[in-house]
Amino acid sequence: MTRLAPTELINELAGPLADWLPKQRWFAGKDREIRAVRPVRATELVGDADPGLVHAVLAVEQDGGGRTGAEDLYQVLVGRTQRLPEHLAGTEIGTVAGETCYSAVHDGDLGTTLLDLIAADRDVAGVRFRPEPDAQLYPGLRSRPAGVEQSNTSLIFGHRYILKLYRRLHPGPSRDLELHRALHRVGCQHIAAPLGSIDCELRGEPVVLGVLQEYLSNAVDGWAMANTSVRDLMAEGDLHADEVGGDFAAEAYRLGEAVAAVHEDLRRALGGEEGDRDRLDAAVDRMHRRLDRVLVAVPELAPYEPALRRAFDAVRSVPLPLRLQQIHGDLHLGQVMRTNTAWVLIDFEGEPAAEVAERSTLRSPLRDIAGMLRSIDYAAHQILVGDEVPHQLEVRAAEWTERNRRAFCDGYAAAGVDPREKATLLRALELDKAVYEVGYEHANRPEWLAVPLAAVARMTAGEECA
Amino acid sequence: MADDGRPDAALGLEGVPHTGEAVTPEGLMVEPSAEDFDHARPAPRHPEWYKEAVFYEVLVRAFADSNGDGIGDLRGLADKLDYLSWLGVDCLWLPPFYASPLRDGGYDISDYRAVLPEFGTVEDFVYLLDQAHRRNIRIITDLVLNHTSDAHPWFQASREDPDGPYGDFYVWSDTDQHYTDARIIFTDTETSNWTFDPVRGQFYWHRFFSHQPDLNYDNPAVQDAMLDVLRFWLDLGIDGFRLDAVPYLYEREGSNCENLPETHAFLKRCRKVVDDEYPGRVLLAEANQWPQDVVHYFGEPSTGGDECHMAFHFPLMPRIFMAVRRESRFPISEILAQTPPIPSGCTWGIFLRNHDELTLEMVTDEERDYMWAEYATDPRMKANIGIRRRLAPLLDNDRNQQELFTALLLSLPGSPVLYYGDEIGMGDNIWLGDRDGVRTPMQWTPDRNAGFSRCDPNRIYLPAISDPVYGFQSVNVEAQLNSSSSLLHWTRRMLQVRAKHPAFGLGTFVELGSSNPSVLAYQRRWITPDGNEDLVICVNNMSRFPQPVELDLSDHEGSIPVELTGEVPFPRIGQLPYLLTLPGHGFYWFSIIATESGEAP
Ligand SMILES: Nc1ncnc2c1ncn2[C@@H]1O[C@H](COP(=O)(O)OP(=O)(O)O)[C@@H](O)[C@H]1O
Repeated sequence: MTRLAPTELINELAGPLADWLPKQRWFAGKDREIRAVRPVRATELVGDADPGLVHAVLAVEQDGGGRTGAEDLYQVLVGRTQRLPEHLAGTEIGTVAGETCYSAVHDGDLGTTLLDLIAADRDVAGVRFRPEPDAQLYPGLRSRPAGVEQSNTSLIFGHRYILKLYRRLHPGPSRDLELHRALHRVGCQHIAAPLGSIDCELRGEPVVLGVLQEYLSNAVDGWAMANTSVRDLMAEGDLHADEVGGDFAAEAYRLGEAVAAVHEDLRRALGGEEGDRDRLDAAVDRMHRRLDRVLVAVPELAPYEPALRRAFDAVRSVPLPLRLQQIHGDLHLGQVMRTNTAWVLIDFEGEPAAEVAERSTLRSPLRDIAGMLRSIDYAAHQILVGDEVPHQLEVRAAEWTERNRRAFCDGYAAAGVDPREKATLLRALELDKAVYEVGYEHANRPEWLAVPLAAVARMTAGEECA
Repeated sequence: MADDGRPDAALGLEGVPHTGEAVTPEGLMVEPSAEDFDHARPAPRHPEWYKEAVFYEVLVRAFADSNGDGIGDLRGLADKLDYLSWLGVDCLWLPPFYASPLRDGGYDISDYRAVLPEFGTVEDFVYLLDQAHRRNIRIITDLVLNHTSDAHPWFQASREDPDGPYGDFYVWSDTDQHYTDARIIFTDTETSNWTFDPVRGQFYWHRFFSHQPDLNYDNPAVQDAMLDVLRFWLDLGIDGFRLDAVPYLYEREGSNCENLPETHAFLKRCRKVVDDEYPGRVLLAEANQWPQDVVHYFGEPSTGGDECHMAFHFPLMPRIFMAVRRESRFPISEILAQTPPIPSGCTWGIFLRNHDELTLEMVTDEERDYMWAEYATDPRMKANIGIRRRLAPLLDNDRNQQELFTALLLSLPGSPVLYYGDEIGMGDNIWLGDRDGVRTPMQWTPDRNAGFSRCDPNRIYLPAISDPVYGFQSVNVEAQLNSSSSLLHWTRRMLQVRAKHPAFGLGTFVELGSSNPSVLAYQRRWITPDGNEDLVICVNNMSRFPQPVELDLSDHEGSIPVELTGEVPFPRIGQLPYLLTLPGHGFYWFSIIATESGEAP
């Protein structure tokens, strides 16, 4: 049987792909019409067997979005076969030259090919599969897709490895991979060990296509851990947060220790610098600009504007120097996992709202702490979503937040510097984050808007009379 | 103390064979010998029985009184063997029943070769052991190697005659300034590990109470004397010893005097005596330390272990309590992940409650505060650094939780040790002093003295629990025997299920993670010598709320889980994660039966 060459195959498949892409969760431009889908590159990974496997990078040209002819790059893995097995029926993309083409990430055997190529340190026509220097890989494991697909697709191999395949590609180095490597080099205990990567060149620049890491098979994400505790609290309206059995404070404390350790390791691995007044002013300006934007969209925020502005401006006169370094950049309870022995931080891609280039600038570690404190507040105040909430539960939620933010800061202080020593900056960063959340929830999940708004109200209460 | 000067005078053992009843011309005490007594019939052969056994800790004093003096005794216990056999326990653990002034619950032994008269005689013990072996039940007891009572004739001889054969049996010194790096264990009663003895005019060393002088293991005669104590009971037929307080046998300057290499060397000698002369008997180490330190008491891994066959896993127990209170599996997952592998011939002993308080030494300060707040609401419930409560009252008498805790105990890696009375959900009496609150009479019937003794109620050693919830009128063996839904019948059924699956005792343990932090799931797997697989999966809900869980059982695709208490087959394991829902504090035990694809099992 002679098969279409990979590039031809993808060219032929362009029409079905244009239908298929918008149905994928990770596809960013769902609301805009697709004008064209072209292969930027296509590589045959499995050629002389059925099913075959083609790796492709697509340029997707779309309407609107303010940008004319805007073109985004996406990675797809296409399986092709004479007979699609029944359990893969839902993954079909289209039929080309007598072969059914389908999304190969759902095919556990084709997944094995990716792992085997990494273990074998292979370069297939410019797609480079590499193990990390100290990685000991066991090839041959079948893959299964990880449960929830967000902006990327992850494949899990046995109980050992997880391969995160980036969908929308950004030429240039991967912050996630580089920080993982740096942390692993200094022996950081609070990350999943990096084990390998897949990359290629696009338009003369290297681009990371996927990263293989240790799979934390017995782990639970921080959000689920916190929810377990909050659930308990809410079922016992008459008990205080420190009285109910499902207390989270000990976990929050250890989480604080883990975050402090990662900050310390990042500083050891990648250094830091001291921020000056100009940097501080620029940061405060950015806070004001964000507030300007959100105020336009969300009038409910207006009553707090004066207090917010004062909180931001107070940062202009905090004592220097200010310690800056690489940080996680998007830290919240969903980015930490409790394993049987420790808390682990995942996903060092950085702040999603920031441009990719900007994500790597040095920042104050307090940003991560502010992020986590806001997340703890979210965990407690989910009850504000939806129906009328009894006042008592609101009080309990506030107690829970207070108890666990204290525990988190205590844990951080025990292994690093007490973040509460820089209260002015921490408060401004938390408020800035809450303003961002107000904007985000308003645009995406209006029923959640009450959560960050209530936080802004609480954090600025008492300010007015001052 | 010894008014008439005879070293055995303080023992109260007139009329029964005992140490020091005569003295040889060389000044050596005559000690009772195993040849003077009948021996029990041996237990059925089963070399690694301790790995599959369910242990039952029973206090002789508390179980059954045969002679109506208000104190439980060996004959009384023997009368209850049919009950224990019906329940399905494999081995009894008896705390010390030796002659003793009872200033430390019998752990202050004044004669290793005599029985405390109120419990009976050596002959009574042999009778009990013989009757137990007839029912395929084994018996082990505590042996305190580290020290004796100061009433022991050896100590009396040692203080009176420094140059005699016993002069060097204890650790004597002119100064109390040696071994100052050793911590004081009972800080609330002792100020030093040295006490001055006016008779000998020297200080003697004691790691525990001042009335418990430490034996001097640097003296070869002491080592031989203690090995002969082991032989005495092993000759009578006993199945093993729980070696009390093993870390402290030796002292060395500049060390903390715990876990010294010399101590391990002596334990290897004890083990060699067992292996060479008494195969099939066990040594169980009591070392209240972290698992990574306790593993050294199993000895050399390449030999399968050449010190103790078993050791207690102390930190697991408080963490089971903590996990259920926090509705999170992590306290358990974490301690198991930190537990190192052990030699092939060894196993852990695990327990929920025992005769001591719920020990909180093996938790951090923060965790201890938490446990106290959660489980000991009245200050009297707190002892030294533990909680004195029984299982049922610790769990607010909640039947679901009692079942969950017991299911965990019976399925986690290690041999489970039940505490007498917990099988019927007995309560405690926190108004009794010391640790007596959890040592009240076993509740057999709703009759006088709970059926424990026919004595006048004023003479009973401790009053039977009589409060409205846990009192013997409502909580007793007789009533629960008559109700098939009782905790007693439930416990028995669980022991029966456990006995059918060697994976529980012998199998490997692998945790099956899930994204639900409230669900603890694990797999126990054992390949029998003839190549058959026994595979059990246990799923436990730590939360009081119902929980869903998705388990990755893809390794067993095509197999059928069969629930073990009711033998109900569950849906076949497919390609997708296996979905289960558990009621609050619910649990499942499944046997995973591999089937030809498409066939029903
Ligand atoms: N090393 C890992 N081990 C186990 N699960 C992981 C690992 N990394 C990520 N996950 C799981 O995958 C989810 C998504 O991971 P993440 O790296 O945040 O990808 P995305 O960028 O798609 O959100 C996480 O919430 C976590 O549940």
